[in-house]
Amino acid sequence: MPLDTSTTYPLTRLRLDGRRWNELRLLQAQISTNPASSGSSYLSMGNTAIMCSVHGPAEGRRGEASGSAGSSGAVVEVDVNIAGFAGVDRRRRAGGSDKQSSRIATTLRSAFQSHLHTYLYPHSTISIHVSVLSADGSLLAAAINACTLALVDAGIPMPGLLCGCTAGMSGSASTPKDPRSDELDPLLDLSLPEEQELPQLTVGTTTSVPVGENNMDDEGEETKVAVLNMDSKLHFTYIETMLAVGMDGCNQIRELLEGVIKESNRA
Amino acid sequence: MMADRRRVNGPSGGTRPAVFASLAESGTGVSERAQRQRQPSELRKIFLKTGLIPTASGSSYLEFEPSASLAAARINPKSLIPPSSALKLACTVHGPKPLPRSAAFSPNLVLTTHVKYAPFAARKRRGHIRDASERDLGVHLETALRGAIIAERWPKSGLDITITILEAEDDRWWADAPDSHDASWGMMNVLAGCITAASAAIADAHIDCLDLVAGGVAALVSDEEKQSSAAPKLMLDADPAEHRSIVSACVVAYMPARDEITELWLKGDSSKASLENGDKRSVHEALLDGAVDAARGAHTVLAEAVRESLLKTVG
Amino acid sequence: MSNQRQASSASQTPHLSPAELSYLYTSLSLPGSPIRPDGRSPTQFRPLTAETNILPGTNGSARIGFADGTQAIVGVKAEVERTTLSADTLDAREFDPNHDRESQEGSAAVSGHGSWVQMSIEIPGFRDDDALPVFLSEMMRESLVGSVGADESGMAGGLKGRLVINKRWHWRLYIDVLLLSQPLSYPLPLLSLTTHLALLSTKLPKLKSQGEEDPFFDDDWAVAEYLYPRSSSTLKKSPSQHVRPPVTLLVISVGDNVIFDPNREEIAVADAVLAISVTRGEGGGLKLLSIRTIDPPSRLTQPGIPNSENVNMLGATPAEENALTQATGEEEVSGVWRPRRGGVKRSVVANMVRTVLKKGGVGEEVLEGLEGVEVV
Repeated sequence: MPLDTSTTYPLTRLRLDGRRWNELRLLQAQISTNPASSGSSYLSMGNTAIMCSVHGPAEGRRGEASGSAGSSGAVVEVDVNIAGFAGVDRRRRAGGSDKQSSRIATTLRSAFQSHLHTYLYPHSTISIHVSVLSADGSLLAAAINACTLALVDAGIPMPGLLCGCTAGMSGSASTPKDPRSDELDPLLDLSLPEEQELPQLTVGTTTSVPVGENNMDDEGEETKVAVLNMDSKLHFTYIETMLAVGMDGCNQIRELLEGVIKESNRA
Repeated sequence: MMADRRRVNGPSGGTRPAVFASLAESGTGVSERAQRQRQPSELRKIFLKTGLIPTASGSSYLEFEPSASLAAARINPKSLIPPSSALKLACTVHGPKPLPRSAAFSPNLVLTTHVKYAPFAARKRRGHIRDASERDLGVHLETALRGAIIAERWPKSGLDITITILEAEDDRWWADAPDSHDASWGMMNVLAGCITAASAAIADAHIDCLDLVAGGVAALVSDEEKQSSAAPKLMLDADPAEHRSIVSACVVAYMPARDEITELWLKGDSSKASLENGDKRSVHEALLDGAVDAARGAHTVLAEAVRESLLKTVG
Repeated sequence: MSNQRQASSASQTPHLSPAELSYLYTSLSLPGSPIRPDGRSPTQFRPLTAETNILPGTNGSARIGFADGTQAIVGVKAEVERTTLSADTLDAREFDPNHDRESQEGSAAVSGHGSWVQMSIEIPGFRDDDALPVFLSEMMRESLVGSVGADESGMAGGLKGRLVINKRWHWRLYIDVLLLSQPLSYPLPLLSLTTHLALLSTKLPKLKSQGEEDPFFDDDWAVAEYLYPRSSSTLKKSPSQHVRPPVTLLVISVGDNVIFDPNREEIAVADAVLAISVTRGEGGGLKLLSIRTIDPPSRLTQPGIPNSENVNMLGATPAEENALTQATGEEEVSGVWRPRRGGVKRSVVANMVRTVLKKGGVGEEVLEGLEGVEVV
């Protein structure tokens, strides 16, 4: 397949799916999709589709170190399941836990454990179940967004929306950045083929809910990074660019998610 | 499929004994299908003995009589491949024993069934970890037994039933293509054997039951070359190795004293089949009645074995 | 928890008191017209919403949600695979002069193999090798591959036959069932209906190669063919003439009544639970593919204590003459719950099967209802 990003991008400045460097994929989301759970959501970013349901806060399971662990606040449990039909080829080992899904689960757990106001619910458990129906890149970012929506639907207090986005570079970016000729562009919201060949990172940011009038204008300064995940090789001079692009993407996503939440309230 | 990482596994492909061309060509009928010698309603003889495993609270050993061709082949071997196989299985019962502390309260006896083929039980080697069909058998067996045991007499207790299948029924004649009837018909005979053996072992462990529950199999088979030329016949206790194709089959776990079925498993598309003229029943009812008749036969053996074991303990 | 997982009836027996169970049993076993807790008629199904082709990355997919919030998603994926005949079969053929080689050769290539259809069920809270998912997937797979299609419908040899490409190649079908929440009732009807719809919407790319060539396919997804072929619209066949995948119905009997699609409370008092798989046969009638008993959870419930045995009620009630049931030697007091024991009579089984199969019966009703779902 000659259609890889690193060869065609410098010529056309268009990515494989026709986007420019700073464009998100189409993001569609819906909340309260499953009446059987406390909160649920469906989120698709391009061809990545995720369903998430939240149960709780509920009494923790019996016999499970209820004494020390849960006394200070709720315990967040995350369970990620990537469906056998999610990828291009059917995964051999359906179900169970593979490396990818357990990594996503661990990241989500630690992110939301510290993000949510868990101290309000001592001795209880908030369990989040994430099902990946279709995987086309940016899984972790999409899962973060889906979880946020489901947790909002469940009415669990949090200081702000936790939104995730991926950012990458349009080439291998192994040499130091040259300020005069920037032939490498940072890319926003990577799809699976891009993710496989380009260096990328996932960033999740949150904002405090602005209280009072004076907070409305300096929103940007309140942004906090809650999740940052990168496991590809990259020259350190590029990180700042990628991070900036990723955080910008997070802000765009936050607006979209806020729209979804407001829309569902109106209905 | 889960790979067993704890043991040194045999080759995945498996090996077979060689078949020599000269042997096959001599026309001695090495690869001739075994024919059913029994009447349609005649069962194979069953050997059933209880109390063979002293460490278990109850145990039994069950064996089906090998078919006539297999017996002949053993006396006068023409080929290294036996023409058919016969069922051999051992069942142990542990308990009633207290449930572990972590388990939730149960007002009834908690039954756990565990069915496992020995690696050498079938023509194809089985792994050490139970696969889907073995777990499936375990659920069937559990359903069959739970209806018979009076579970509320042992609150907070557990009963473990373990069955090891030493030799399993074939699913088809060994030389047939694996698709000629590819459903696992042999599993149904195995289940019937499991039910009968487990029932004997439970009685040997002195656990109160409503009745001795016996397993029976009936099948609609067609031996003709062309499937449509003749109506398939109803056979009790059909050995899949003896028939060209099985249209549908049915296993029951049956309690004669109450005339009740605790487990029923029927499968196969019998829509094209019809019974011999004069039979007004629908096909599935005929199969069900046939399987119950087979179970009645097995029940006589079961009752005798249990009586023997009782006399042994009394004497 | 561990023993519940083991049990096949692991539909989590609800914590109903013996008095509630007894009440429920009495109202469900009323002769002629059982009263169900949700007011349905005995043969009525719970309302559900269904949609198909929801996942672009699969060959076919469907989602069904019950009104109580349980949802299932099924994705079907197909892969091309080389057909291998087992070595011993080939050898036996080569050496055996008695065999009619023409008729036997490559018979797997004609009739297909049941193991080409693989099914896995994912239920939250269960491992994929727990008894319940394994039992359910075996049950549904067995009826899928067991169906032998009619010749004139273009599905000779049933689903297995449809998967054959030529003598050396075949399709392998992966059916992945995803239950999105913990099952509130025995999930069989939900999973079976969803699988049915997903298979109906499954398309395979159009074959461009011919005969025994290595297969290659048309890139145009628009000309892909349905796995379960539809008759062309020019023929104007009625929808009931299509070949359809089987459905598995969950049927319970309570007293003399036969009740369909039980919810969690109803199944807890059932005398017998059967899973019956049916499909459309030739000529529009129904044909039976398989029956399995499911362990009724009523065997695991807690018994009630009649007043005559209750220490607190000692002397408060006059001693009644109670009939001893012969089989157990224990008293059966009306209005006092006893866990079910024993099995099911043959006549009851026959009655349950008859209710499903009879003309205008529930089986037809369900299949017609599913035909009403527009499959795109």
